[in-house]
Amino acid sequence: MFPGAFPAGAQDRLLPASIPYRFFGTAVVLHLAAWAVLLAAAGEVPGFAGGLGPVLAALHLVTLGVLAMTALGAAFQLLPVATSRALGPDWACRLSWWLLAPGVVALAIGMGTGWMTALEGGAVLAAAGLVVGGSLMARTLAGVPGLAAITRPTWLALAALLVLAGLGLLLVWDFAAGLLPDHVRVAAVHGLVAGYGFMGSLALGFSTVLVPMFVLGQPVPDAIGRRCAALVAAGLVLAAAGALAGLGWLVVLGGTAGLAAAAMHAIALAKVFKGRMRKRLEPFFRLLLPGWAVLPVSILAGMALALGVPVARLAPLWGFLMVFGWLLTVVTGILQRIMPFLASMHTAAAGGKPALLSGLTARRPLDLHAGLHGLAIVLVAAGILAGSPLLVRLGAAAGLAGAAAFAAFAIELARRYRAHRLSSLSSSSSPLATTKDVRP
Amino acid sequence: MDLHGKESPVWLVAGQDVAPFDVRPLIAAGTDPFSELMAKAESVASGEVLVVDAPFNPSPLRRALAARGFSSWGRQLAEGHWRIHFRRDGANGWQDGAEFQATPEDAAVWREADGLHIDVRRLDAPRPMLAILRLIDGLGPAERVVTVHHERMPHFLLPELAERNWRLAHCVESTFDLRLRLEREG
Repeated sequence: MFPGAFPAGAQDRLLPASIPYRFFGTAVVLHLAAWAVLLAAAGEVPGFAGGLGPVLAALHLVTLGVLAMTALGAAFQLLPVATSRALGPDWACRLSWWLLAPGVVALAIGMGTGWMTALEGGAVLAAAGLVVGGSLMARTLAGVPGLAAITRPTWLALAALLVLAGLGLLLVWDFAAGLLPDHVRVAAVHGLVAGYGFMGSLALGFSTVLVPMFVLGQPVPDAIGRRCAALVAAGLVLAAAGALAGLGWLVVLGGTAGLAAAAMHAIALAKVFKGRMRKRLEPFFRLLLPGWAVLPVSILAGMALALGVPVARLAPLWGFLMVFGWLLTVVTGILQRIMPFLASMHTAAAGGKPALLSGLTARRPLDLHAGLHGLAIVLVAAGILAGSPLLVRLGAAAGLAGAAAFAAFAIELARRYRAHRLSSLSSSSSPLATTKDVRP
Repeated sequence: MDLHGKESPVWLVAGQDVAPFDVRPLIAAGTDPFSELMAKAESVASGEVLVVDAPFNPSPLRRALAARGFSSWGRQLAEGHWRIHFRRDGANGWQDGAEFQATPEDAAVWREADGLHIDVRRLDAPRPMLAILRLIDGLGPAERVVTVHHERMPHFLLPELAERNWRLAHCVESTFDLRLRLEREG
């Protein structure tokens, strides 16, 4: 009766709450740590040109500790539902966290202090955690027919993950062995593959499902997803080749492809917005929309850097805009929406009435976070451009306060979730328990 | 949502002498009759009719055969027994003449004795959730029950239902059909 294989029954694809929330909780804590380290190292930010130190540690606390951590937690729960494919064993999800979380902490300590054992051990653990998580995602995606709007960017992200992990390990070993002829160029390729390739492609793919789901609009057509992914892939190859060879025009060509992909994605999402059923935009869009607006600015900054435009401190500005301005803004926006959403799903699965999203979400800390995060991005970017450690320090302090507000939101969410679970323990059995139809 | 007043198409008489292909025993045995049905459909000439007996309204099959040029009309003969007539006629605008209404997400909505039914099987995420919420949001206060034909537990739907004062009251799982009974609260 069904074209194609029928999915594996109506079996539950809801992971145990402890799996996604261990990733999200870690992301919340490392978000605080990243801004704190950046605040401590504010004086080094304006002239940062790579190399070991607290600035590199802060950068990786965000990329691996917040962005990748959130991406894995969200992907483990969302991909199986979106694709109707089983994810894999729960223990593998947990293993991914057990490798990644201590790996990120050790890596950050190693980067911040120059302790090579921590640096190398942390790099290996983090890379292994990402590869385990990526393998689970690949297993879910394999054999999914259609859904190109989400599968193509995700496949691209997984390919980028392998490249960034390999280059990351190479760069770490190079700190001790000095085997690379040009460490800075390889680091640039590692950065753009990690930012635009891995995280960017994941954000691209997930937003084609999450945004329509949250605004109740029609999904992005698969053809758009295919074209976007192709443009991002072409842009990455060109830009990476250009960065490695020191050919600025090639980087600009790659950046142009990236800008075209961003424009195509923005137009597709604008169409989703236009036909949406939920007319009032929820508060998390105040982070999502400006976050996506920073993407083309970061690409333009990277292109200017490649062309050798004599703007002081363009390298740290490019990195900051890509990681903090674009990705961190978008990911904290997504995180504040999916954390209560998944919590509500789990209260429903546990039986009784599901907790209302509005009842689980503490608005005030999120209002504070949005304001402080925006202020932090503006101040730090201005500080980098002006070469002012004071502005960077003020910005990092605002970012740290924003991260604390975000942590308060997460703690309050956990408290309200537990309170709802306790109050509904005595309620009737879960309606999610299916009964078999015995009709002949 | 007005689901009344649709008259059966005149071409239905062409299927009166056609022996129905009863897929209920196959489905009861856990076998997917899709490939067998496709083979039978291939042998149907232009203007001819294929008749299928099924345990439920097979909306995904109807969409799949519409893509191959078959209009369809279904009716419930008894509990657990649907008869669907398929006619190879190009299927242009076939949903306008069908006995159900199609949502913008391509879900089928029809009425049975126990209330409204919506079939969201084989729709890509997030279309099932959109179709269900669109239906619920458009209902008057007198409509208190909706039966959803799904293929998996729609976890993402539950928080949205709660926000709308609806709840998932019961699930019944049979082969190829997870039926979810949604009820308005209060």
